[in-house]
Amino acid sequence: MGKLYVNAVPPPDLNKNTEWFMYPGVWTTYILILFFSWLMVLSVFGCTPGMAWTIVNLGHFIVTYHFFHWKKGTPFAEDQGIYNRLTWWEQVDNGKQLTRNRKFLTVVPVVLYLIASHTTDYQHPMLFLNTLAAFVLVVAKFPNMHRVRIFGINADQ
Amino acid sequence: MGCGKSNAFPYGELIWTHRKGGSTIFKFFAHRQNPLLWIYSSQVKLLDKMEFSVMSFLSNALDWVRVAFDVPFARAVVFGVHIGGHLVVEALLVIVILFLLLQKSYKLPQRPLSETEIDELCEDWVPDSLIPPLTEGIKYEPPILDSAAGPHAIINGKDVVNFASANYLGLIGHEKLHESCTAALEKYGLGSCGPRGFYGTIDVHLDCEERIAKFLGTPDSILYSYGISTMFSAIPAFCKKGDIIVADEGVHWGIQNGLYLSKSTIVYFKHNDMESLENALEKITRENKRATKLRRYIVVEAIYQNSGQIAPLNMIVKLKENYRFRVLLDESNSFGVLGDSGRGLSEHYGVPVEKIDIITAAMGYALATDGGFCTGSVRVVDHQRLSSSGYVFSASLPPYLASAAITAIDVLEENPHLVTKLKQNIALLVEGLSDVPGLSVASNPQSPIVFLRLKHTTYSFKNDLQLLEDIANLMLKEDSVFVVASKRIVKESCSFGAVRLHLTGYFLIVIAFCPAAGSSSVLQLLP
Repeated sequence: MGKLYVNAVPPPDLNKNTEWFMYPGVWTTYILILFFSWLMVLSVFGCTPGMAWTIVNLGHFIVTYHFFHWKKGTPFAEDQGIYNRLTWWEQVDNGKQLTRNRKFLTVVPVVLYLIASHTTDYQHPMLFLNTLAAFVLVVAKFPNMHRVRIFGINADQ
Repeated sequence: MGCGKSNAFPYGELIWTHRKGGSTIFKFFAHRQNPLLWIYSSQVKLLDKMEFSVMSFLSNALDWVRVAFDVPFARAVVFGVHIGGHLVVEALLVIVILFLLLQKSYKLPQRPLSETEIDELCEDWVPDSLIPPLTEGIKYEPPILDSAAGPHAIINGKDVVNFASANYLGLIGHEKLHESCTAALEKYGLGSCGPRGFYGTIDVHLDCEERIAKFLGTPDSILYSYGISTMFSAIPAFCKKGDIIVADEGVHWGIQNGLYLSKSTIVYFKHNDMESLENALEKITRENKRATKLRRYIVVEAIYQNSGQIAPLNMIVKLKENYRFRVLLDESNSFGVLGDSGRGLSEHYGVPVEKIDIITAAMGYALATDGGFCTGSVRVVDHQRLSSSGYVFSASLPPYLASAAITAIDVLEENPHLVTKLKQNIALLVEGLSDVPGLSVASNPQSPIVFLRLKHTTYSFKNDLQLLEDIANLMLKEDSVFVVASKRIVKESCSFGAVRLHLTGYFLIVIAFCPAAGSSSVLQLLP
């Protein structure tokens, strides 16, 4: 008897909302977007490189905090609302912890913080803001913080 | 020990406590006020010596570390920054990153519940009752019909005139409908055995869709298996999360359910109030810059099932074109009733039917069969064939009902006098009822559903309802006329939060109809 049935491997991520992050080239694109936004900030504001990195870091903080850690659910109706209580970060890789994608997304704010604080020479206002941004983003990404809403921030009604 | 005292006699008091081995706090005060007391104790001297040696060792070590760092990097400059002191912080962060990268990935464990935990949960569980506890006021025993709900019905063995069924054209029990039902039953059997997309489509379904579209003058139409599910499937098929729906606050339960299921942003306007509708549209388009990028709908009923009002379609179309909204119109109670030939609200107002984007209707009223249909442009209809849950996931309409619907439309088209007669009857009924002492007509004079309101309310919903029910019972008993008082679901979770003030009153409902051929007016039926 030959094989009668195909052993289908279930696709790793059926969630349309997070599936795109598995595409090849997403990491590169992510890094390039950050780099080009740094160039943009530099050329638009004409500030020092350090200031520009700080602005990029803070912008990255605001955007990713809102879309990864604040907004819940998906824009798609087909999933019948099973993700309604999960943020994007909690949906990534079906909630598996410390996957390659998650590590990448955690390393990005740390590296950004490193660059931003290094290039501003650890000067006071920038250092404080950069530290705050990196701290919040990294803490929100801890595996222990999965589905945890500290102090009820952004908790369900 | 009063502090005031120690202030007044600082030394004597404190030395005294110290000698007696008093509390540490006082020792501290003593130390502050007279340091000599402490410094010259031999123990302190010893401590000082140790401390000095430790400190010197530490500072030596720090110097050594600093030198070790500074030597290779003293002149290193990265991106215009001397990196001398940064190295410690940055090395630390790099270590953190490396540590993170070396972690193994895992899935959060889903610990199965232990036996005792399951038992505990089962013991703790108290099921909520499915319905609220029955109180005296809720209990209601409706009259039971022993016959078909035609113009005449038998209740408790007595022949009564039935003013409580939406049998507007008197088609219930119509000969031709019976014939077509029987023929279809013999040919196809009872059920259709499947959803439309899955072996459930039978030629009469397609014929019926075509017939409805042809009758209304729309390009295409789609059949649903159940009247109410037409609205609550068609609405979520088009309106999604984030879309804006402006709906009349008096829409019936099926539409309310559809609005709720669509998850769209819903704005209610005052019942049948065009000014309020315009304000709502104006507010949405002006305040919300993104509104032009969203799908926007107006949801109205042609004849409101809950109030008997008629929606002013000409105004609505004008507003819709002004503010660029789509209109979803429910024609359940106006199909076969309004317009010269029963084509509904668009014919009534002389508005081309293409101006209304989506029309839904239940076929359980004037057409005297069951199921519902939605009609509109080819794209509107085609979209629903794959994305309307009520169409895709429920067994299709039994073929005999579809063939009955075709015949009913045939009958309606061949006998336009049915509609004319219905209109005369409505006029007659409204005229007759407007003189009734104590009650006033609260619905539109052209609506076949006549709502009668108490002229002098008792200012208590319960008493009003009781009074109206008493009237209805009396009419049934003494005059053999079957009418009903309106019912309302007061439970919050059933009404989708739309318990509206002016609609919460109770009415006596009298439904006009066109009796079967032979008798010319409703009043002839009365004993």
